[in-house]
Amino acid sequence: MSDRQVAMVIDLNKCIGCQTCTIACKTMWTSKEGMEGMWWNTVSTAPGEGTPKGWEQMGGGFRDGKAQPGRLPKQSEFGDPWEFNYEETLFGGDPHATLKPSGGDPDWGTNWDEDVGGGEYPNSFFFYIPRICNHCTKPACMEACPRGAIFKRDEDGIVLINEDHCRGFRFCQEACPYKEIYYNAVTGKSQKCLFCLPRMEEGVATACSRQCPGRVRFLGFLDDEDGPIHKLVYDHKVALPLHPEYETEPNVFYIPPLAPPSFDAEGNPTEEDRIPITYLMSLFGGEVVEALETLKAEKAARKRGEPSELMDTLISRNWVDLFGPFNKSPKDIEAMRLMEGGQLGTAQ
Amino acid sequence: MQSLKVTDISGFLDPVARPWNGIAAERVDMMPSPLGLQPNDYIIASWEERPYGELEVLSAASVHDGQRIAVRLVWEKDKPSAGAGEGFPDAAAIAFPVRGDPLLMQMGSADAPIHALQWRARGNETRSVNAEGIGSSKPGPDVAAAGKGGWSGGNWHVVMTRNLAVPQGGAVLVSGHATRIGFAVWNGHNEERAGIKAVSLDWIDLELEA
Ligand code: SF4
Ligand code: SF4
Repeated sequence: MSDRQVAMVIDLNKCIGCQTCTIACKTMWTSKEGMEGMWWNTVSTAPGEGTPKGWEQMGGGFRDGKAQPGRLPKQSEFGDPWEFNYEETLFGGDPHATLKPSGGDPDWGTNWDEDVGGGEYPNSFFFYIPRICNHCTKPACMEACPRGAIFKRDEDGIVLINEDHCRGFRFCQEACPYKEIYYNAVTGKSQKCLFCLPRMEEGVATACSRQCPGRVRFLGFLDDEDGPIHKLVYDHKVALPLHPEYETEPNVFYIPPLAPPSFDAEGNPTEEDRIPITYLMSLFGGEVVEALETLKAEKAARKRGEPSELMDTLISRNWVDLFGPFNKSPKDIEAMRLMEGGQLGTAQ
Repeated sequence: MQSLKVTDISGFLDPVARPWNGIAAERVDMMPSPLGLQPNDYIIASWEERPYGELEVLSAASVHDGQRIAVRLVWEKDKPSAGAGEGFPDAAAIAFPVRGDPLLMQMGSADAPIHALQWRARGNETRSVNAEGIGSSKPGPDVAAAGKGGWSGGNWHVVMTRNLAVPQGGAVLVSGHATRIGFAVWNGHNEERAGIKAVSLDWIDLELEA
């Protein structure tokens, strides 16, 4: 366990599945050679196979404290990094040319089963689950590495791979029950989400959080009693880890999704939940029942015109309040650097 | 086993070079590295019901020229695993005690370290590594490690070479003196890596012909 722990809360009621976070991360961290197929941030439709395909059946994590075997995900289960015939389609002169991925018809990719979801019309439903490395309090990846190449930082609990010590053995990839480790076949090293460490150290939010147009992703230290994370996780108890039964103690938490009620055969609303509670329990554990009750009660209170600190926090009218102490703009940091360096100081 | 003295080692750098035909090879019995000695619970849990280290025998031969030593290993493998893309590479290692009386199975200890050369089919490269216990291997001293492997007819043929003389921290080899040598082989197709490997039952005496 680290001295302090940064954490993220993701509000599933607000995520629109736009993948801005995915692309923000891709552009910032995984655009180099060997990283083409890596998605340190994914957003997949639930219910669904997820990314990589069927990851919840790949094992890893712990049961009653005992390490569980896991299997390696294949690149094809994440989706191969396709190349497209842009040149031919856009500039080739053939008006009938269409964009095609290299290597024949693909049959899987991240969020491949987009919006398929579950349930029967008119009671069908789906929502999105954005995922990154959970920077777990008990990282299965770290415990599985025979080389001690994975470490958890004392000052913020961020879990990192020391690539100088990594030999590409990938026990971490098997052991991580969330399948949040990627293998770089060019360098022969394993790589993963850094929680945007260089940004966070400067007080700037992670790229996935800051670029999210849905104001979905809260940030902060778990022990910061005035921050949004502490409020949502400990005070209101509405933010829950995904698959707590994997026993790695994730530090990414989710506000579970509310949904309109089911309709009966005549099209009238019923008392029944649209999203089966058993399904949500399979994702977030038994505590999801109470979390949803709290959310419903606070929502109703707000509707009646009563104050609700919880709803105010979740609505996040002031955008940067989402990020706790990590509320600086990358632009400010750039300006500060230039001033400290004594160059161009007056030009700011 | 004996490392025969030759006048020029350059004819032995290729694992299928003809001069190797004239060098007697030793049959080395191999076994799976003990599961209980694996460095963490995850590795033990994930391999307790999975066979590994199934190679039963390895053939080893050696020559030196007073400056450099070459060790040639031959073992059966129905098809090679180069470790391209997502695959794991076939690999082999030769180990020497640095000082004291290190346990080969435990990859030595702080008081009795091990110095090894490891060849991997991925990139066909050989590196020098030091170990002071399981899971502790780190880059070893510069002994001008080199190696080359080739697969043909259902066998890997690999030669690893290094200087006899070493800087601090390595295993010194001296012409006319005896030391000990240990072996390891990894089957890439079976996802063998790190401590999941076949190892020689124990050290084997190695005498460098004067
Ligand atoms: S989510 Fe996986 S990779 Fe990230 S810290 Fe937890 S076990 Fe490790
Ligand atoms: S950027 Fe925000 S709203 Fe868009 S997919 Fe990511 S988390 Fe959801």
